[in-house]
Amino acid sequence: MDATIINPFVKAAVRILGQELGQIPEKEALQLQDTYYTTEDVTVMIGVTGSVEGTMLVGMTESTARNIAASMLGCKLVLFDEMAESALAELGNMIAGSASAELEKAGYQCRISPPSLIVGRGTIISTSRMRRLVIPFRVPGGRIRISVALRRAKEANQEGSRCSGTP
Amino acid sequence: MGKILVVDDSAFARMRTAKLLADNGFEVEEAANGAEAVRKYQQVRPTLVLMDITMPVMDGLQALREIKRQDASARVVMCSALGQKSVVLEAIKAGAVDFLVKPLQPQRLLDVVRKHGHAS
Repeated sequence: MDATIINPFVKAAVRILGQELGQIPEKEALQLQDTYYTTEDVTVMIGVTGSVEGTMLVGMTESTARNIAASMLGCKLVLFDEMAESALAELGNMIAGSASAELEKAGYQCRISPPSLIVGRGTIISTSRMRRLVIPFRVPGGRIRISVALRRAKEANQEGSRCSGTP
Repeated sequence: MGKILVVDDSAFARMRTAKLLADNGFEVEEAANGAEAVRKYQQVRPTLVLMDITMPVMDGLQALREIKRQDASARVVMCSALGQKSVVLEAIKAGAVDFLVKPLQPQRLLDVVRKHGHAS
């Protein structure tokens, strides 16, 4: 994954987290991972299709999820209910949507899927043998980790053609 | 004040927008996807539709085209996290009167709704 694909997600996350949580998030050191993704307490998953394709995952602990949802809802959260889940899914949607606009500026046309929310630690998710770049952020109320596993569509096609030989 | 149909698959986004509009004197109806929006448009004939794009069942661009096919005078403002120029142009070409990029700025949202959402 090169910087032209990753930087849009960093820029989008800083902008959206800053607007929604009222404080510019602090980016921590990036990590490159090539194992399966294991979900955290709360994970938002969004698919990306188009000239770049793959997955964006936003993971956090339950405590951070509650704090972020409370901040977005503007109230003290008593229950981690459907509205709190919806707020976190929308946070992921706004980050991915904003990143897709930045990707367009870099010459990549793509669309995003509606967000899926996974509640519960330990679910294993395959990111189709793609390396994942993990971008950790310190935000008011905790830490979140944005994992981006993306590749250019032509790279995916080349990989597909390598696998489409005679069985 | 007009009647506004807020269409978004996110319950949180609908609640936030609906509350802002209701607090400012607008009557608000809600739909959770494009297909529901098309049905509700026929039922309630809102003065303005605020339409998300990325939704399950039927996306916002498809719903926009369907509503404009049924009522060429329909006023639809797209409200999406997708801020690509290509998406904005596609929406305007399909008949949207304006485009707002999420996160919605309350004052900007109210300005747009006041501009396009008055009862005729």
